[in-house]
Order: sequence, then structure tokens, then C-alpha cells
Amino acid sequence: MHLVLVGLSHKTAPVEIREKLTFPANVQPEALSALTRGDEINEAVILSTCNRTEIYAVAATEDGGVEAVLDFLATFHDLDRHELVRYLYVVSGDAVVRHLFRVVASLDSMVIGEAQILHQVKEAYDHAFSAGATGRAFNKLFRQSFEVGKRVRTETAIGESAVSISYAAVELAKKVFDTLDGRTILILGAGKMSELTAKHLVSQGVARVLVVNRTFARAEELAERFCGTAVEYDRLYDALRETDIVISSTAATEYVITKRDLAPAAKHRSRPLFLIDIAVPRDIDPDVNDLSGVFLYDIDDLNGVVESNLEERMVEARRAEGIIDEEIASFFAWLEAMEVVPTVAAIRAKAEVIRQMELEKAMKRLDLSEKDRKTVEALTCAIVNKMLHGPTARLKKASAGKDGYVYMDIARALYGLEDSEDKHGPGAFRNLLNVKAREIVEKQKETGDTFGDCGA
Amino acid sequence: MSQIAFVAFWLAMASYAGATVLYAYYLLNKRQALSWYATFLTGAGFLLHTASIGFQSSATDGTELTGANVLILMAWALVLVYFALEHVWKLKIYGTVLVPAALVLMLIAQLLGASTSVLKELSGHQRELLDSWRVGIHVALIAFANAGFAIAAVASVAYLVIERQLKRRTSSKLFKRMPSLAQTDMVARRSILWAFPAYSAGLLLGVLRAIETDVELWWADPRVVLAGLVWAFFGGYVLLRWMKGWAGRSAAYLALAGFVLVAIVAVVARTVESGFHLFGL
Repeated sequence: MHLVLVGLSHKTAPVEIREKLTFPANVQPEALSALTRGDEINEAVILSTCNRTEIYAVAATEDGGVEAVLDFLATFHDLDRHELVRYLYVVSGDAVVRHLFRVVASLDSMVIGEAQILHQVKEAYDHAFSAGATGRAFNKLFRQSFEVGKRVRTETAIGESAVSISYAAVELAKKVFDTLDGRTILILGAGKMSELTAKHLVSQGVARVLVVNRTFARAEELAERFCGTAVEYDRLYDALRETDIVISSTAATEYVITKRDLAPAAKHRSRPLFLIDIAVPRDIDPDVNDLSGVFLYDIDDLNGVVESNLEERMVEARRAEGIIDEEIASFFAWLEAMEVVPTVAAIRAKAEVIRQMELEKAMKRLDLSEKDRKTVEALTCAIVNKMLHGPTARLKKASAGKDGYVYMDIARALYGLEDSEDKHGPGAFRNLLNVKAREIVEKQKETGDTFGDCGA
Repeated sequence: MSQIAFVAFWLAMASYAGATVLYAYYLLNKRQALSWYATFLTGAGFLLHTASIGFQSSATDGTELTGANVLILMAWALVLVYFALEHVWKLKIYGTVLVPAALVLMLIAQLLGASTSVLKELSGHQRELLDSWRVGIHVALIAFANAGFAIAAVASVAYLVIERQLKRRTSSKLFKRMPSLAQTDMVARRSILWAFPAYSAGLLLGVLRAIETDVELWWADPRVVLAGLVWAFFGGYVLLRWMKGWAGRSAAYLALAGFVLVAIVAVVARTVESGFHLFGL
């Protein structure tokens, strides 16, 4: 089993290339079918977002797998393969697992900590699963990756703080008012940025929107969009008395709101007033921040908040890397169990335990001389060896093939090798056997011995 | 009985200490699971604390109102009120201050020692004064009111810190973990709204008891005078908030000043040997 990843992202390809390599949901079944049709690719998942297109595959051979994916990409999208290769990255082996876990944890995203990627990877996996393009390896890998994503989001603060100006404004408004339900916002000026910020605030439950603009018609137009109320420009300070949050973005060259004019309104307020000045030059006199209960943030302050949040996300990203390391170790422990050598060793160790237990029972009932005892022991060894030789030899041979890990999986299921790891196993006796088998293997590792007295 | 009470008391302190560490870690790092364990330890500590008070009362045929015991009762009331706060407003963040505050009260009580010698030296008239259900309710109401004032003070400090950060437009990890300005203001306001009537009722019961047992110059007792001052202060707070619409920074400073007075009363009550409240030493 060889893990292969071929893809491109915002880091390696411009949007002109990325848009040519998308796989919308409706074409995924066809694409996955084409990808897994040949002998080379056994399992595949196509992750296609606006910032990345990545094809994860389980291939029979590493090089063959990469070639097959490259051919598929070029053919499916009718692109020049040599041109395409310039923008692609190829990851193989263990690094694929780390890459996927980092992607799901949003450590590889354009904005670190964004929440959407986990959902997108889930969707990609669902498409592949529905199309029958995943098997045991990817079912395990992708399901574990979702756990990684969830752990990173719940155990770190990577996605907690806002990293855009408008969201930073919303976050700060919540820091002041706790909830924006029932609040009144006043949009001063009808700029695009103030409209965007207002949209975010309205989506958080703001009850009332007032719009003040020098051109009343423009104010009415914007107010209509928010189901709000347009207010005459000369009634600005009256409107401020009813307002909780002000978003200001006019083209004025002088302060529109001054400390002197705001002070009387602020003095009689029992609730805070939060002013967001995103205009350059500024609309609001910075001295208004000195008034009790008045909080003013200009564009630089908001940028500062965003930068601080981004720095915090970087710190949290380092914690996330630790979680990823843990999960990678867990995945490889599972993967290792799927390898042929430990599987064969576990089968033989288990058989040896059974042989020894049965021999012991028989010896208690029989009164044999030392010579006879050795003969019986050799006999049991020979039976076990002969019984296991054929299956283990064929298992080793099959493991080199395309579906090798499927054979391994079946062998482990038939011999009940996984039940010791699984609490839902069929019985304590089997678990006991597994524990004993593991003890024997460990002992043999220490002494350098191979399969007990019998050899292999 | 008193040995069991002693063990329960120390186990309660150990639980609160563990909860303090977990709350602090919860504040600094995003570990929801830790906050659950912190609440669990606080709950376990509270049960042990309750058991300790119960066993001690059984051992002494009723709770002796020594200074140390009253502090233990105040710590108990503080934790109980914190649980109510956490349950009603889902605010765990206050546990980072209130649980260690309860622990400190218990430690001070331990340092003061369960001195019953003062009670033994009391005159017959003073003993008669204490021999009424009104005294128990008076102490309980004052303890709960003080817990409310303490919570208001913590919320007011939080308000001032958050306001300062917002005014300075600075951000820190701690700032992000703190509640909102509106919420801290609401917690302070409501805590005092509940605590003030309890304090008033507690004082009234005390005054009634003093009058009915003919305590001379009861109104000149330093504890009574200061308690009256506390009552007037918080009465003023309530009036200013509801009549004049005071809020924000000034209300926070007022709540803090009120709590400083409460702390002064607590210190005076345990140090000044004058008046009729001698049993509280």
C-alpha cells in the first residue's frame, strides 16, 4: 500500500490555474471512477476547494500512482501535462498523512484556523465513499483526520479570534455588549466597507439600523437594503442618543463626530457607545475615546486587533502541530498492524500460545518419559508449522500486490488479531490469547529468538 | 465528631485548592474539560465544607459564632452563591477568583483558630443575646449578602480591566477570555440587587435582637456603626443606579468602595475589642 498525493493550492498556483482544475460535486463520481478504473490506483479522494485541488490515492506502487494521477489530471481537464506539472506538488508515503491532517486542521489554509476546510474535506470524503472509491485505508485515514480537525478546534483557540476587519469589529462589539440582540447600529456614510461591517453586525441579531448620509437619497437606498431607517444628516447627534454602535465611513476631510458635540449625549447615556471609524481620513475625533462609556476603534486599531489575533493563531498552530503528531503516531500504529511481518508474527505467536496451552493440558493427563515428551512436542510443532506455512507464505506474496493490505485485513479478522485492541471483541479468552501472544513476541524480541521452540 | 469535622474541613480546602489550580489553567488555556473538573472539585469541596460545618455544629451543640466560624460560613456562602451564578448565568470565569477567595477565608479562619475562649468569657446577658434563632438568621443573611458584595466587587474589577483594555485598544489572551463589559456590569448590578435586601434584613434582625435584649448603647458598637455605613453606601448605590441611571465605570468604583467597607467591617469585627459583638472576635 502506497499513499500518494498530487495537488496544487494557493501557495503553488495562481487562480487562473486553480480554476481549471476544479472538481465540482457533480463531476466527482465520474472523476473518481476514471481515477480508480486502472490497476494502479486502488482508493482515491478528490479534495476540490477554491484554494486547493488535491488527489489523495492509495496506489500499488508509488511512482506508478503519481504517474496515474498526473495522467488523470491532464486527461480529465484536457490540459498540457508538462505545463500542469509546474504548479503541482507531489507528496508520498508518511508525509501524505501529515499533509492531510494539517489541511484538515486548517494549518495549510490561506487563513490559518478557518473552519470551512474541515467541512470541505468531509464532503470530499463523502463523495469518494459514495462512489465506492475508498477502502479500509482511506476510511480509517479520513475519519481519523476529522477527529484531528475536531480536536484542533476544541483543544486550541486556533479559530476563536477574528482575522478580518469586519469580524474584528463584530468581536469587539460583542466584548462591549455581550450580545448584539436588540441593539441599534448607525451607519454613517454609505461606503462599501461600512456596509460590509453592518452586514456582519446585522447577521448577529442587531434589531435596528439607522443610516445617516449627506445625500439623503443614498441613505434611504442603503437603509432599504437593511430594512432600516434613513436619518437626515443634521439629526446625527439626535440619532446617536438612540444608538449603541456607530460604523463610520464617510469621505469627509474633517471630523464628523467631535468630542465637544458628543459629550452631552454621552453624559446622559446609561449604556456604552461603540464607535467604529473605518474612514481615511478619520471621521471621528480620537478624543471621544476619553468620554466615559464611549469606545472608539479606527482602522489601525482594528488592523492591530487582527494582527494580534493572527499572531495568536500562529501560537495555537504550534499546539495544533502537537495534536497532529499524536494522531499521526496513532494512525501509523494502526497502519503498522496492517503490515505483513507483524501480521504473520502475530498469527504464529497466537498459534504457539494455543499449542503450548494444549500441550500443557495433555501432559498433565499423560505420564510420559522425557524422550516421549520431546517427541510429542516436536509433533505439535510440526503440525503448527505445516498448518501455517502455506497461509503465511501466500499472505507474504499477496502483500506485495495491489490489494495486499486487504489480504492482511482479512487475515487479521480471520485469526481474530484485532479483537485485543477492540473492546467489542467476541470474548475474553481471545483477548487473553492475544495478550499472551504479544508477551511471547516481546520476549522473543528481547532474546532475539523467533517463534518459540518451534521456529518458523 | 469534631475530628471528622476537622478532616472534612481540610479535605474541603484541598478540593478548593485543586479547583483553584484548574480554574487558573482554564482561564489561561482553552480546556473545557478542565473547567468541568474544576466545578466538580468545587462541588466536592462544598459538600465537605457543608459536612464540616454540620459535624462541628453537632459537636458543639450549635454553631458557635466565633470570628473564625463566621469566616468559614462566609466562605461557604461565597461558594454557594458562586454555584448559583454559574448555574444561572453559565459563567465559569468567576470561579477563578471566587473559589480561591473562599479558600483564603478558610485559611484565615484556620489561622485565627477556633477560639472558643471568648465565648466562655461572655457574661450571662451576652449569652442570652445569642440564644435566639434570630441571631443565626442574622449571621446567615449577612454572610450571604457579603458573598453577593464580593461577587459584585470581582465583577467590578473585571469591568474596569476590560474597559481599560478597550479604551487602550490593546488585546491579550486574558482579555479574550474575560466576559463582556455588559455582562460584568450586569453581574455586579444583580449581585448587589440581591445582596442589599439580604443585608438590610440581616441588620434589621440584629437590631431587633439587640433592642429586645436591652443591649446598652447597641448603636455605638463599632461593628454596628460600620455595618450601618455599608448599608447606607449600598443603599446609595441602588438609588443611584435605579434613580439616576448610574452605570459603567462610576458604578464599578462605587461597588468596589462598598466592598472595601465590607472588608473593613470584617477586620474591625475581629480585632477591636469594644461593643457587644465580642463573641465575633
